[in-house]
Amino acid sequence: MRNWLIGLLLVPFVFILGCDTGNEVRVAVAGPFTGNAAAFGEMIKRGAELKAKEINEAGGIKEFNDAGEVIRGRQLKLIFGDDVGTEKEAKAVATRFATDRRILAVVGHFNSSCSLAGKGIYKENGIVELSPGSTNVDVCQGSDWTFRNLYRDDFQGTFIANYIKNILTEFETVSVLFDNDDYGRGLRDAFTAEAKRINLNVVSEKAYDRDTTDYTAQLTSINADNPDVIFVSGLYGQAALIVKQARSLGITAQFFGADGIDSPEFIKNAGAAADGTYLTTPFTFGAGGEEAAKVAKAFEAEFGVQPDTWAALTYDAMGMIAEAIEKTYNSKSTLAENRKGIRDHLAGLDTPEEGYTGITGLTYFDINGDTVNKPAYVKIVKDGEYTTAEKQLLEIGTQN
Amino acid sequence: MDVFLQQLINGLVLGGIYALIAVGYTMVYGIIQLINFAHGEVFMLGAYFAFTLVAIFHLPFWVAVPISMLLCAGFGLLMDFVAYRPIRNAPRLSALITAIGVSIALQNIARIIWGAKPQPFPEETLPSFLQQVTPLEDPNIYFSFLGINFTEVAIKFPGNVSLSYLDLSIILLAVILMFGLNRIVSLTKIGKAMRACAQNRVASNLMGIKTNQVIAITFAIGSALGAIAGVMVGVREYIEPTMGYYKGVAAFAAAVLGGIGNITGAMVGGLLMGLAEVFGAGYIDPIIEFVAKNIGLGEFYEAGKISNSYGSGYRVAISYIVMIIVILIRPTGLFGKSTGHRA
Repeated sequence: MRNWLIGLLLVPFVFILGCDTGNEVRVAVAGPFTGNAAAFGEMIKRGAELKAKEINEAGGIKEFNDAGEVIRGRQLKLIFGDDVGTEKEAKAVATRFATDRRILAVVGHFNSSCSLAGKGIYKENGIVELSPGSTNVDVCQGSDWTFRNLYRDDFQGTFIANYIKNILTEFETVSVLFDNDDYGRGLRDAFTAEAKRINLNVVSEKAYDRDTTDYTAQLTSINADNPDVIFVSGLYGQAALIVKQARSLGITAQFFGADGIDSPEFIKNAGAAADGTYLTTPFTFGAGGEEAAKVAKAFEAEFGVQPDTWAALTYDAMGMIAEAIEKTYNSKSTLAENRKGIRDHLAGLDTPEEGYTGITGLTYFDINGDTVNKPAYVKIVKDGEYTTAEKQLLEIGTQN
Repeated sequence: MDVFLQQLINGLVLGGIYALIAVGYTMVYGIIQLINFAHGEVFMLGAYFAFTLVAIFHLPFWVAVPISMLLCAGFGLLMDFVAYRPIRNAPRLSALITAIGVSIALQNIARIIWGAKPQPFPEETLPSFLQQVTPLEDPNIYFSFLGINFTEVAIKFPGNVSLSYLDLSIILLAVILMFGLNRIVSLTKIGKAMRACAQNRVASNLMGIKTNQVIAITFAIGSALGAIAGVMVGVREYIEPTMGYYKGVAAFAAAVLGGIGNITGAMVGGLLMGLAEVFGAGYIDPIIEFVAKNIGLGEFYEAGKISNSYGSGYRVAISYIVMIIVILIRPTGLFGKSTGHRA
């Protein structure tokens, strides 16, 4: 009886010993899975999960022999780290990932402040940080290890100013309401600089703090100047309250937002007040190709909701990392060498020919690790849904 | 002037919200000198309970709100019984730490049950006058009085100054509840018992007052008020697990400003904090501009080295500065008494 019990106790150990950890590669995903940017985090998580599932079902990340035959497939395992959208937590998550000897690369973070907070830690430990959402100008500056697969805010801010000036010609004056963090400030700086250059009249600017939920004071001050357009440089949660409170105050100005409000949660939280809001986005499924439509369908089948921009960008970021691992991973190399291999592979994607083609289009990096070829699309909220705006401004081209 | 009036209204609404929450802090503190940090979470739970009853159980709003208040009252009792009563005679610090623990635990439980994402209160379930969906075109005017138009969703004063019925109800609710509570505390038997407990709990007990019962009732009333405040804020903004934290801290500051333990003080403190925050946000930027230009830094200002657009981002700090100044001048708060009876 006793022997039998001991035997039973040993069973799990046998299983643990029997697991060949060499059959698995780990990639971390960092994002705001809770906190007031949680809607983004949820989509990021799902986008990453879908890509990992597809890779694993197709045999995992493959290793080839010299003759080009598949000799084994490694399962891609995702490790999630919640940065809550704050710098403090982002640093903790970055340290945990960078010092974990099984993690090869990090997809994330989302918030620009978080990517910036983690940048130094990732650089010091030599691990790739590939952001599917941070647009602040400085995110990739000064580190060979940080990349992103979407545009920068200097492009986005310039784009929005030009769109208002050239397409929405019925509007003359603009007020800016910006979130007082790296993203909100950076975007507002780019916007006001370009507005000045092209003679778009910015009549007032006001900051807000993400932890407050009442914006009536700022809106009332702004409305004293009677702007035609209010540009909200911030995230969806606050933007939803801003448009709601503005309409409740009887403010009739046109609202314009950027990719920070590109989340279904914006419409859900703002309700009817969201209608008519313009926003820019790095990607829209409406403008995506067949592949994008296929992924959208698979996403909906898996999670029961439609994917958003961030799910798509994370899906592609995960694909890029997986490709890099497949091309460079060597089980005989050290962790540092494997991590460096991934970095070198990404850094090598520096021309349109070398670039990675995913559902959000072609991605390739400049010397900083920025993606400079992707256009911005304009969407408008109509009857509680995002629709691609009739007039796009693609001819402004891309940055640089 | 229009802007000033609108800001005054904005400040009163925000202040009304703070006041509604501050009462819960102040009542409990008045009786057992406990800063019940979990009160902000009761406020959050009140919003979630009403939300669940309306969205999942499809109860009408008017039924859901009283049930949510009852649930929160019960929850207040439970919290007192489980967390605070066992350490009633322990050093005050133990109770304070327990309160912080309860607060963190409740926040995380709410996150597990309802998720971390903010949820809007389903607009279509609200009585029509609490809805905020303002048509951009000129709304129907029900009737006009002295140039004041009563429209579908808001009262429009001359000069495009507007006050939505929802915001009006928040202010009215704060005032009514405040007077009601004051009446209860000063006129009823239980109110008398509360005042006795506030003066000296041991002596009250010796006089035959069931102090544990009185404390429990205080928790129940405070929690029910917190619940209704939660519903109003949830309707106006949205519901999320941390909503009680930020509002709770501000409301606690309001209670301290008014003199913690004093119900009228909580009301006045709340309004003052709200007004300070809104006027701070509205007028800090012109003030920065004025000061910069008058102390000889005009060139820096023109060159954009001193920015006038960041000030409103620090509105919360401004209201806390006002609180600190008041506390420095009157350490017991506006209505607080240094010794003697509270509540």
